[in-house]
Amino acid sequence: MTKFSRFAATATTAIIAGCAATAVMAADIFVVGGKPDDPFWSIVKRGAEDAGIVVKEQGGSVTWLGPQNYDNLGVDAAELIRQAIDQGADAIVGPDWVPEAMDPAFQAVRAAGIPLIIYNAGGLEAADRLDAMNYVGSDDHEAGKAAGVYLAGKGNSNGLCVNTLPGAANVEAFCGGFVEGITGAGGSGEVLPLPATSFGSQTAVAQAVRAHLLQHPEINAVFTVSDVDANAAISGIQQAGKTGQVAVCGINFNEAILDNIKADKQACAIDQQGYMQGYLAVAMLNGYVNYGLQIPTREILTGPGIVDATNVDATAAGVKAGTR
Amino acid sequence: MRRPEAGSLLGLVAVFAFFLISAGGIFASAAGTASWLNVAAEIGIVALPIGLLMIAGELDLSIGSVIPASSLTVAIISGYYGLPEIIGILAALAMGTAVGFVNGYAVNRTGVPSLIVTIGTMFAVMGLTLGLAVLLTGSTSTSIVPSPFFKAILGGFVGGMFQVTVFWWIGFIAIIGFALHFAPIGNWIYALGGDKVSARNAGIPTEKLTIGLFMLSGFSAAFVGVGQAMVYQSAQVAGGQSFIFNSIMCVVIGGVLLTGGFGSVMGIVLGTITFSMVNQGIYFTGFDPNLGSVIIGALLLVAVLMNDTFRQMALSYSKKKK
Repeated sequence: MTKFSRFAATATTAIIAGCAATAVMAADIFVVGGKPDDPFWSIVKRGAEDAGIVVKEQGGSVTWLGPQNYDNLGVDAAELIRQAIDQGADAIVGPDWVPEAMDPAFQAVRAAGIPLIIYNAGGLEAADRLDAMNYVGSDDHEAGKAAGVYLAGKGNSNGLCVNTLPGAANVEAFCGGFVEGITGAGGSGEVLPLPATSFGSQTAVAQAVRAHLLQHPEINAVFTVSDVDANAAISGIQQAGKTGQVAVCGINFNEAILDNIKADKQACAIDQQGYMQGYLAVAMLNGYVNYGLQIPTREILTGPGIVDATNVDATAAGVKAGTR
Repeated sequence: MRRPEAGSLLGLVAVFAFFLISAGGIFASAAGTASWLNVAAEIGIVALPIGLLMIAGELDLSIGSVIPASSLTVAIISGYYGLPEIIGILAALAMGTAVGFVNGYAVNRTGVPSLIVTIGTMFAVMGLTLGLAVLLTGSTSTSIVPSPFFKAILGGFVGGMFQVTVFWWIGFIAIIGFALHFAPIGNWIYALGGDKVSARNAGIPTEKLTIGLFMLSGFSAAFVGVGQAMVYQSAQVAGGQSFIFNSIMCVVIGGVLLTGGFGSVMGIVLGTITFSMVNQGIYFTGFDPNLGSVIIGALLLVAVLMNDTFRQMALSYSKKKK
């Protein structure tokens, strides 16, 4: 299976690269990101593609490289970065999800003299370590922290972070930040890592949340690391008979989650504005490769922003357009 | 004790006892039971036809993408376009059944192992789902607010905790159990998995049977997808992949031979329950959740080993009687 999907990935990227190579000179920018069918990553991809309109106008191209699945995230992503180098990228954008596995690949990018921007995960620290131009994204630790502080401020100070992807650096940072935020505000927090058999199944996540709530009745705040998980957590809380007692806050959102915020089923969503991550990273690299433009501000933060009942309507318009 | 399910049953009892001791009474309470039963019902509806296919010597991996595809079909037709739910539901079920037909037809015509054929359709359906969803709605997730009637029969909770899917699962068990063990078609399936050539020579319509089994598996996967859309009132392009390995695991724990020709509906049901108990039970115990996967892996191996031991005992006992 893994072998096959890797072959499929190689084959498709080879075809895309073949087409891209026919474009006239200018900036051929490769963007490494999540699965294109991941709700969050499709928005980042949309931002990268929208910035790509300008890139194309100036004779360049934008190519999206995403893994077929998240089973072997760090290694697969490192392989995609190396593919981008091999295909003659003029500039590369990539997230530093699993530094141990991906840093050598990023170092190879710089060794080949290719300009690099780290986005989405890793922070300025990774950008400095890897000699990247800049970091575009939200700080994952801060994102989790914002949720912890928000929930504690609403009086829900006994928190649980549902970790559906244990081991991934950004997810660990979300949970770490959440625990720190809620403890710092005078509450307490813990992390519930789920086994791999639960990933991608909403029912498994919902039942895990519900089982944990039954075992730990003192918990009154749940933090989730993705929009799909938030939806599942709400169902789990409802099945545990604790609707209204346990507040949910999650990373990212979609239309269903905005409806939940409107209906007061979810307290808040942390927005890292993925569209701007893809958009800014590509635009900055295009300006640099073509015209030597540089942005002196280092660490371009696109989040965390908090979506709650006060600004939910304004956000909904962006969701309809596929940009939020 | 001499029935082949004895091993599965003992594995189930052992797992139940393990969690009862390490987690306490709450695991056996109604809320604890619902926790694993809800998970079991969803996997179970898929595991039954997968079990039949494995008994017949085939595999179906495409279910992993049929589940999200059918969720999205309902959500797009009845949520995004606002058409009546029944149209969305029928379209989703028809889509799943059609994927099954393509699988069966391709396996018959090409002779390529079904493992490979269904990997192909899995990727194809995954790509089509993503492409069409973005093309039609501009987004990879769509929400749906089902009318009370459909919410109640497909996505409701009985007693506030038992997902209504549990009762559908019981229905699937009854129908598929009757078909495999009491209707002539059941013997055909065993014969197909035992020896395909002899089965055809004996006058069994093997090609129609193969297509039918794949259609059943596509239909069941689509049914689970529809249920998920109704429960969670939204559908995403991704998700469902865990069902592939989880359902195969349930079937194998239930004593179905990977090589085909052996297995029973009762075994598959017991295997599904065992798997779900192990998967959910971990949250009721005081173990470090970081080690959850280790315990799941170890308990599943023990369950399968017990199973194999008892199957051999059962088989050797019946030989002695001759």
